[in-house]
Amino acid sequence: MNNYLLIPFLPLAAFLINILLGRNFLKEKAHWVSILAVAGSWVVAVMTLVDTMAGKTINQDLYSWIVSGNFKVSVGFLIDQLTVVMLIVVTTCSTLIHIYSVGYMHGDKGYYRFFAYLSLFTFCMLMLVMANNFLQLYFGWEGVGLCSYFLIGYYFDKKSASDAGKKAFIVNRFGDFGFGIGIFMIFLTFGTIYYEPVFAQAGGFANNTVNFLGYDVHLMTLIALLLFCGSVGKSAQMPLHVWLPDAMEGPTPVSALIHAATMVTAGVFLVARCSPIFSLSETALMVVALTGAITSLFAATIGLVQNDIKRIIAYSTISQLGYMFLACGVGAYSAGVFHLYTHAFFKALLFLCAGSVMHAMAGELNLQKMGGLKKYMPVTYLTMLLASLSIAGVPGFAGFFSKDEILWLAYSGPSPVGKLVWAIGTVVAFLTAFYSFRLIFLTFHGKFRGTHEQEHHLHESPKVMTIPLILLCVGAIASGWVGIPHLLGGGAHFTEFMKPVLGHPEGHGTHSEEWMVMAVSVIAGFSGIGLAALFYLVRTDIPVKLAAGLSGVHKLLFNKYYVDEFYSFLIVRPAIWTAKNILIGITDAKIIEAIVNGVPKAIGGFSQVIRKVQTGFLQHYATIMATGILIIIALMLLR
Amino acid sequence: MPFVMPDLRPVLPEIVMTVLALAILLADLVIKRKETIAFLSIVGVALVTYVLPGSMGTTFNGMFLSDGYSMFFKLIFMLNVILTVLISVKYIVIEKVNFGEYYALILFSTLGMMLMASAGDLIVLYLGLELMALSTYILAGFIRYDIKSNEAAMKYFLLGAFASAFLLYGTSMIYGLTGTTDLKAISAYIVANGLSGNPVLMLSMILFAVAFSFKIAAVPFHMWAPDAYEGAPTSITAFMSVGPKAAGFAVLGRVFLIAFGSVKLEWSAVLVPIAILTMGVGNIVALSQTNIKRMLAYSSIAHAGYILLGIIAGTSDGMASVLTYMLIYAFMNIGAFAVVIMLRSEGFKGDNITDYEGLSKTHPLAAALMLVFMFSLTGIPPTAGFMGKFYVFMSAINAGYTWVVIIAVMFSAISAYFYLRVVMYMYMKEPKETVQLSTSPAIGLALAITVIAVLFIGISPSTVVNLARAAVSGF
Amino acid sequence: MLAKLFFGYYAAVIILLSLLVVTRKNPVRSVMWMLLLFFHIASLYLFLNAEFIAAIQVIVYAGAILVLFLFVVLLLNLREELKVKRFIGSWPAGLFVSAAILAIVINVIRSFVLVAPPGRYSIEYIKEATHTKALGTILYTEYLFPFEIASLVLLIAIIGAIVLAKRKTRSH
Repeated sequence: MNNYLLIPFLPLAAFLINILLGRNFLKEKAHWVSILAVAGSWVVAVMTLVDTMAGKTINQDLYSWIVSGNFKVSVGFLIDQLTVVMLIVVTTCSTLIHIYSVGYMHGDKGYYRFFAYLSLFTFCMLMLVMANNFLQLYFGWEGVGLCSYFLIGYYFDKKSASDAGKKAFIVNRFGDFGFGIGIFMIFLTFGTIYYEPVFAQAGGFANNTVNFLGYDVHLMTLIALLLFCGSVGKSAQMPLHVWLPDAMEGPTPVSALIHAATMVTAGVFLVARCSPIFSLSETALMVVALTGAITSLFAATIGLVQNDIKRIIAYSTISQLGYMFLACGVGAYSAGVFHLYTHAFFKALLFLCAGSVMHAMAGELNLQKMGGLKKYMPVTYLTMLLASLSIAGVPGFAGFFSKDEILWLAYSGPSPVGKLVWAIGTVVAFLTAFYSFRLIFLTFHGKFRGTHEQEHHLHESPKVMTIPLILLCVGAIASGWVGIPHLLGGGAHFTEFMKPVLGHPEGHGTHSEEWMVMAVSVIAGFSGIGLAALFYLVRTDIPVKLAAGLSGVHKLLFNKYYVDEFYSFLIVRPAIWTAKNILIGITDAKIIEAIVNGVPKAIGGFSQVIRKVQTGFLQHYATIMATGILIIIALMLLR
Repeated sequence: MPFVMPDLRPVLPEIVMTVLALAILLADLVIKRKETIAFLSIVGVALVTYVLPGSMGTTFNGMFLSDGYSMFFKLIFMLNVILTVLISVKYIVIEKVNFGEYYALILFSTLGMMLMASAGDLIVLYLGLELMALSTYILAGFIRYDIKSNEAAMKYFLLGAFASAFLLYGTSMIYGLTGTTDLKAISAYIVANGLSGNPVLMLSMILFAVAFSFKIAAVPFHMWAPDAYEGAPTSITAFMSVGPKAAGFAVLGRVFLIAFGSVKLEWSAVLVPIAILTMGVGNIVALSQTNIKRMLAYSSIAHAGYILLGIIAGTSDGMASVLTYMLIYAFMNIGAFAVVIMLRSEGFKGDNITDYEGLSKTHPLAAALMLVFMFSLTGIPPTAGFMGKFYVFMSAINAGYTWVVIIAVMFSAISAYFYLRVVMYMYMKEPKETVQLSTSPAIGLALAITVIAVLFIGISPSTVVNLARAAVSGF
Repeated sequence: MLAKLFFGYYAAVIILLSLLVVTRKNPVRSVMWMLLLFFHIASLYLFLNAEFIAAIQVIVYAGAILVLFLFVVLLLNLREELKVKRFIGSWPAGLFVSAAILAIVINVIRSFVLVAPPGRYSIEYIKEATHTKALGTILYTEYLFPFEIASLVLLIAIIGAIVLAKRKTRSH
C-alpha cells in the first residue's frame, strides 16, 4: 500500500503545474488541476483509512537526505490512527474548499496563483501530519506558516492585508522559536528526532532534570512546554492569539481552510502527537489545560460584541481551539482530536457561509448592515443555521458529542484543575451558543439594514459554492455520530479507534454524574440560543441598553481587552523607538527610511565603512597584504 | 646517473590537456568559426575526463601524485572549463573578443590547476601555480579596449606576483631547513628532527598560508578579487572564481595536511582568524555592493571562508567536505554568473543589481534560475548550497571548532540579506526597462547542467558526499 | 674572511641598487641602475661556483630583458612620466610595515638550524663534473617534469604578449 505517497504528492504536483503553467496556459482553468489533485488525495486518504481501520499502520522512511554520524534527516511517513483522522479532515475540507473557491475567486486576477498556493498549503499540511520525525514536522509547520502568510496577504495591494500577513508571520516566530528549541532539546536528550524511539524512551527520562538558566528544571516539563510554545503560536492561543482575527483579511476560502479547519489545529495535533511526552509532566498538562480554558473564555467574551461577521467566527475558532487544548490538558487527547475533527466541518462551513453572505453583500462584513437575508439566500441560511446548531452543542449534532465528551472527561478526569476547566467550559458553551445565534439572527432575520443598492444586489450564491456548503453541512451534522458515548447507547468508536495512539482517558464518575454534566451543557447551549433570540428577535432594544449600561465592559470587550494596544505599547513601539534612536546615532539622515530594518541597515552602514578600504589603489592593497602578514607573523612568532 | 623513462600513465590527462591546448592554438589559425573551436575544446576536455580515472599512480620520483584527492579536484576543473566555455561562446562575441586564444588560455590555465592538484613537490606546485595564474592574468585583461579589464589584469598580475614572492620565500626557507622540496619528505624530516617548534618553520608555514590565501581570496589577501572580478570579462570572472580557488584549496590541503601535518595546531591558529575575517569581510562588504559582479566577488570571498573551516577541521571528513563544497560551489556560482552573462547584450552592461528589477515579469525562467542559485549561495535547503555548508560546519564541529561554526552561521545569516535582495528585486519590483537576454543553446545547456546539479545534490547529496569521502580515503 | 667580505659587499650593493631602481624619477635611470644590479647578482652566482647561471643572468637579464625595458621606456612620454608622483601618500605606512617584517624575519632567521645532510651535489662533486654539466643532467633527468612545465609557462608568456599587444583593438 505504497499509494499513500500520492496523498501529499498529488497536491505538490498540482502546485508545480499551476505555478509553472498557470499564468500563460491554464489561466482560468487552473482550478481543475488543483481540484483533481486534492480529490485524488482524498480518495487515497479514504483507502488508507480503510486499511488503518483494519489495523495496518505504516512507519517508513522514503529516502534519507542527510546522514552524518548519528544525525539523520530523512523524509519518512508515519500513518497511524491519529494521522489518518487528520488526513481525512485535511483532504475533505481542502477538496470542498477548492471547489467553493472556483465560485468565490471567479474573475480574480491572480486566479492560478491562488490555487497554486492552496495546493502548496495542502501539501505542507499533509507533510506535517504524515511526518514520522520532528524535523519533517517542523518543515511542514513552517511551510503551512509560509503559505498562510502568502494567502493572508493575497490582496497585497491592500495595506491591511499585507500588514495582517506580516503580523501573523511575526507573532508565529515567537512560538516557533520555542518550538525549534524544543526539537533541539529532544535531539540532545534522545539523540534522535524520530517519533518512535523518542516516545519509546520518553518514560526513561521521566525523572530527569536539566539545568536551565541556573535552575534545575524537570526535563520533560521543559520539552513539553517548549513544544507547546509552537502550539500556542500556531493555534492562536493566549497570549499569541492576536494574529488570527487579523488574518481574516485573506480571502474567505483561506480563512475556512487554513484558519479554521486545518492549519490552526496543527497545534492541537502536535500536543496529541507528543502525548507520550506531555503525559509525563503534570505541570505541562496543567499549563495546557488552563491556557486552553482561559483562551476559550476570553475569546468567547470578545465574540459577544463584535460586528464583523468573519471576526466573530475567528474568535469562535480561537475559543474552540481553546476547548481542544483544554481536553488535551486534562489528558483526554482523543476527545481533543474528536473535537478537532467535528469542528473542522462546522467551522469551515460557517466561514464558507460567511463568504457566501459577503459575496451577496458585495464584500460587506458588518452585521449591523445586514438582516433578513433568509429569503434571498435560503441554502446559505439553512446550512449556516445547522452549523450554528452544531457549534452550540444541540444534541444530535456533531458538536454536541465532541463537546460533551470533553466536558465529561474534564469533570471526571484525574486532573487537579479538571473541575475548574469544566466550569469554564460550560460557561463558554453558553457564550458560544449566544454569539453564534446573535450572528444568525442579525444576518438572516429581521429587516435589511443595508443600502438599497446592496438590497437590490442580494442573491443566492452559484451552485459551485452552495454544493460544498451542503456537503460540509452533512459533516457538521453527522461527523459526530462516530463518537456517540456509551451513555447514549453508542459505541464511542472514535475513542476506541484512537486508543492505540492516544491511550484511554481515565474517568471516574457515575452514570448520574455523566447525565448531569450532559444536561448542564445542553441547558447552557439552549439558554444561549434563547437569550440570543430574546435580544435580537424579540426585544432588540435590550442589547443597546445593556451596552450603554455596561459601557465599560462593552468597550473592554469590543476592543478585545486592548491586547493589541498592550503589545503595541510593550513590544512594537519600544522596538521601533530603539531602532529609530540607534539608527539616528550611527547613520545619516538619508537611510532613516529604513527604521524597520534596524539591524540590517546598521550592518549595512558598517559595510560602507569597510568598503572604503577598497580604494582601488594597488599600493594600498599591497600595504594591506603586507600588514596582514606582519600581524600574523607577529602574533605567531613573538609570543 | 642513468636516465630511466618515468611512468607516463599518471600524467596522461595532463599530456592530453597539453596537446589539446596546443592543438586549439594551432586550429585557431585555420578555423574561422570560433564556435567550432569552443566545441573542439569541450570534446577535448571530455577526452581528458575520460582518461582521468585510469591515471591513478605516482611518477617522477613522487613529484606528481595522481590520487583520489587530485582526481576529484580535476573533476571540478573539467567541469569548470566545460561550463565556462559554454557560457563564453555568445558572450565573447558580444564583447568583440572572439579569438581562439581565449579557449587555449582557459585550457592552459586548467592544465596549471591540474598540476597544482597533483603536485607532490613544491617546485611542481609553484610552476603549476604560475602556469595557471599567468593564463588567468591574460584572460582577465582579454577585453583590451576596456580600461576596466586592463586594470583588472594589471592589479591581479602585480598582486599575484607579490604573493608568488611569498610562496617562493617560504619554499626557500623550507628547503634550507629540510633540504628537500618533496612534501612527504618535508613532513618526515620535520618529525624525525623534532623541528615542530622551529620559528623558521613557522615563518615558512605562514608564508605558505599567505600565498595560498591570496589564491583563494581570503581576507586580508583578497584585495585583488573585487577589482579583478569586476573588470574581467564575466565569463572569466566565473572561471576564476571557481578554478583558481579550487586549485588553491587543493594545494592548501595537500601542503598543510601533509608537509605541515605535524604543526597542525599552529597552522590552524593562523587559519582560524583568517577564516573568520574572510567570512566577516566578505559577507558584510557584499551588503553595500551595487554591482552584481562585485557582489559575487565578495560572496566568493565569503565562501572561501566557509570552505576554510573544512581545512581547519583537518580530518578526512573535513577534507571530504571541502571537496563537496567546492564541487557544489562550482555549480551554483557558475550558474549565477551564467544568468549575469545573459543580461549582457549589445550596448547594455547589465551588471547592476538594479538591472534585475522585475526580471520575473519580463523573463520568468531566467529569474527562477537566478532564484535557485541565490538560494543555493545563501544555503537554503533543499538546494545544494545548504548541503555544502552543512557538511563543512558538521566536520568543523566534530573537530571541536563549534564556536567558529557559530560565527560562520551568523555571517551566513547576514549573507541572506544580499543574496535575497537580488531575488527581491527580481520578484517584487516592477521592471523599469525591458532587458534583452542574450541566450544561446550553449548557455542554455550550461544553465540546465548547473540548475539540475544544484537541485539534485541538494535533494540527494549522498552520491557526491560518498564520492568525496572515497576520494580522500587514501589521503 | 675574504669570502665573507665579498659576500657582504655584493649583498649590500644589491640592496642599495634595488632601492635606487625603485626610487628614481626618471625611468631611464632606473633601468640603468637595474643593469648594474643584474651584474652584481651575476657576481653573487659566480661566488657560489655557479658560473653557468651567472652567464645566463648576464645574457638573458642584462642582455635581453633590459634592452626590452629600454625599448619600452623609449616609447613612453618621459616628460609626462616625470610629472607623475613616485609614491602615493601612504608610503610611510608601507615602509613601516616592511621594516617591521624585516625585523621579525631577521630575528627569526637566527634560529635557522642546518641539520640537513649534504646532498649528492656537494662542492667536490660539482668541481669534478663541472657546474654546467651537473645542472644539465639534473634538469633533464630528476627535474625533467618541472622543466617541461616551465616551458609551458614561457609559452603562455609569449601567447599573452601577442594577445594583449598584437591583436587589433576592435573597440566600438
